[in-house]
Amino acid sequence: MQEKTGVWATARRFFGRVPRWAYALAALALAISVPLLEQADLIQTVWLRLGIRSLVYVLLAMGLNVVMGETGLLNLGYIAFFAVGSYTTAIFSSPRLGYHVDFWILLLASTGLAMLAGLLIGLPTLRLRGDYLAIVTLGFGEITRITFNNWESVTNGPGGIPQIYRPMILGLKIDKPGEFYYLVLIFVVLVAIMLTNLKSSRVGRAWNALREDEIAAEHSGIHGTSLKLLSMVISAGIAGLAGCLFAYYQQFINPTYFEFLQSVLVVCMVVLGGMGSIPGAIAGAALLDALPEFIRQAFSRWLPDLLGEQTMDSLPVAVQNFFIEFDRYRMLIVGLVIVVMVIFRPEGILPDSLWRREVREEDPREVEKTRQKLFDFDEGHQDLEA
Amino acid sequence: MTFEHVFRLTMSGLTVGMIYALIALGYTMVYGVLEFINFAHGEIFTIGGYIAITTLVWAGVDSDTSAGVLIGYFIMAVAVSVLLTALLGWLVERIAYRPLRGASRIIPLLSAIGVSIFLQNLIILTWGPEAIVVPTAIVPSQVVVMFGVPIRVLALIIIGVSVVLMAILTYIIRSTRIGKAMRATSQDMEAAEMMGIETNRTIAFTFIIGSALAAIGGFLVAMYYGSLKFDTGFLYGLKAFTAAVLGGIGNIPGAVVGSLLLGLVENYGVGMKLGGLAWFFVAGLALGLYTQTIRVPGRRRRHIRDEIRTPAYERRIVNVYRFPIPNALKVALGPRTDALVSVSARHSLRLAAGNLFLAVMAILFFLNHDSQFATMWQHAISFSVLVLVLMFRPSGILGEHIQEKV
Repeated sequence: MQEKTGVWATARRFFGRVPRWAYALAALALAISVPLLEQADLIQTVWLRLGIRSLVYVLLAMGLNVVMGETGLLNLGYIAFFAVGSYTTAIFSSPRLGYHVDFWILLLASTGLAMLAGLLIGLPTLRLRGDYLAIVTLGFGEITRITFNNWESVTNGPGGIPQIYRPMILGLKIDKPGEFYYLVLIFVVLVAIMLTNLKSSRVGRAWNALREDEIAAEHSGIHGTSLKLLSMVISAGIAGLAGCLFAYYQQFINPTYFEFLQSVLVVCMVVLGGMGSIPGAIAGAALLDALPEFIRQAFSRWLPDLLGEQTMDSLPVAVQNFFIEFDRYRMLIVGLVIVVMVIFRPEGILPDSLWRREVREEDPREVEKTRQKLFDFDEGHQDLEA
Repeated sequence: MTFEHVFRLTMSGLTVGMIYALIALGYTMVYGVLEFINFAHGEIFTIGGYIAITTLVWAGVDSDTSAGVLIGYFIMAVAVSVLLTALLGWLVERIAYRPLRGASRIIPLLSAIGVSIFLQNLIILTWGPEAIVVPTAIVPSQVVVMFGVPIRVLALIIIGVSVVLMAILTYIIRSTRIGKAMRATSQDMEAAEMMGIETNRTIAFTFIIGSALAAIGGFLVAMYYGSLKFDTGFLYGLKAFTAAVLGGIGNIPGAVVGSLLLGLVENYGVGMKLGGLAWFFVAGLALGLYTQTIRVPGRRRRHIRDEIRTPAYERRIVNVYRFPIPNALKVALGPRTDALVSVSARHSLRLAAGNLFLAVMAILFFLNHDSQFATMWQHAISFSVLVLVLMFRPSGILGEHIQEKV
């Protein structure tokens, strides 16, 4: 094959040669450094809190990626499992009903109950067509939220559950944001390692086969329903784990944390990052959760420092308002980005090679590449190709 | 539970059901042609209502306006809203859905969700996050007494307008050229194209009609409830979709039947004492028992016969990827159970579970026959209906009409 020249192609080749684990290590180092920077007073605590929230979203995006990216089942009620985990933790570790259960037990219980919920929801619905499944999961998600909203005797309804106790781990009370950050980060790393191994295992390959062509997969001996159920249960469990950590960190939860919009946001993270790609899920979550805050901070704090007030004032008022009130435009832009991504780059920003090939099936370049790989074709066999 | 009470619930159920039907028609037509859920339809409905109300307020209608002029203003507002909303529907189809035709199933749905988020936030940015209130002066507040029950004239107008619109839609689909093209496209898009039908134009027309109906629905909802909020469309859209699925997706009469049924179920569910509702569960239980005891055994026998014909080695291959535990259980129970567990018995198990659920609900409701179902569970009713329909009869009451795939 002809080597392409040009800046873009050269850069792509160079970055393509860096091994994958180097990127992972770099990202991990960056993640580890955040609390240290905060300790050294280089960044504010706000960023640390934002980091924790982003990490929880990373967990959620990785979990949804299992069921949506790997297995190709659109789950629009994903936040319900998160809610189950959160409420389990909140109910059994707050003065609300007077329980104070140990961290590890609650972690297991939250994950387990969310898995059970996934099993109960998946069992009757997984035989449905793809888009029906999306709507049913949406319905289940809303029912879960309405239940938590109306079940006053246990969940205190819209008022929520306040004063969730801080977790004690090995005799150490996790209290400061920095400690929470590392706690969540440890789980993120563990889940990422687990999912990466799962992805290349027999189960992961079977999931991908189901996503690409269900009938063909079933005919090669894959039992569709049980494997779909497995992916649903695993992804629900990860959401339950994230919910448990979130409740401990937030110390207060109410049903507004678990609205449909949150589910959609997580879906958007997975789509943006690239379906079926774990680095993609991480990048998507970080991007969608942290980037709007970055832009807002940049324009209300850093840019004025850098350029001076006069230059900022000379900008049109509309532009200033746009960046200062970025939160209001955030979801609008998210919606736009999703549509644009889906049309122009459906494989996401850090694509998974299989999914990329699937969505680019019609693309002549991809067809050519696949053909090269499959048949090792060169020029001059036009008659065979027809 | 007097006759008046039931009549009142029926009327309000019909009114809400008609509005659902106006939205559900859009869902079902699009699904019939393209086989995808137009998630943004609920937002289009809301925008239609917003535009109509804004036009009315902007035109300066107040309580002094005489009835004739008021009607003129209403027609103008509806016309403006229908035009703009149809344009919006067309734009959405052109920009967000058409480039994705032929992509794998999940992708247009994601695009639709993106459009839905975008439109919802557009509403927030344009009209603000608070609900807009329709000036009470312009809402017709007359009341008619029927069978001793006061009924709002507006409710009757809504029912009448919806019936007229549905008649027009039926005419368009049955007897015009473009309607014929729509039917052909929804039956088989490729074949329609080969016959010289411009499918792209037909699909655009489907979106335009659906959006126009939704816009009128939005206006009627705003008049009926007196206010409109940016997320009204989400809930209405979901319920209308439920109704479309209930009637059989892609099936136009089905959408209307499903919508009316859903409207009635919701209103009976909230408005009746639990003792009255229990009879619905008893009826469901009777239906379920009939299905289970009379209809299933024949089917089960056939399935088992088919399963036995499958050679053993194929069954073993199928077993490779199963969970170890059920697999071991099956081996322990003997080879024949494979047929029982995988196809027919599971179906009958599901039915039995559904019957058990209905029986428990009926008993619970009879025990608490004096208390009332709380309003706050109203939305949960329609979601439960959706889940139950999709679990037990995904093709809906009147059967679905979707493209036949080769």
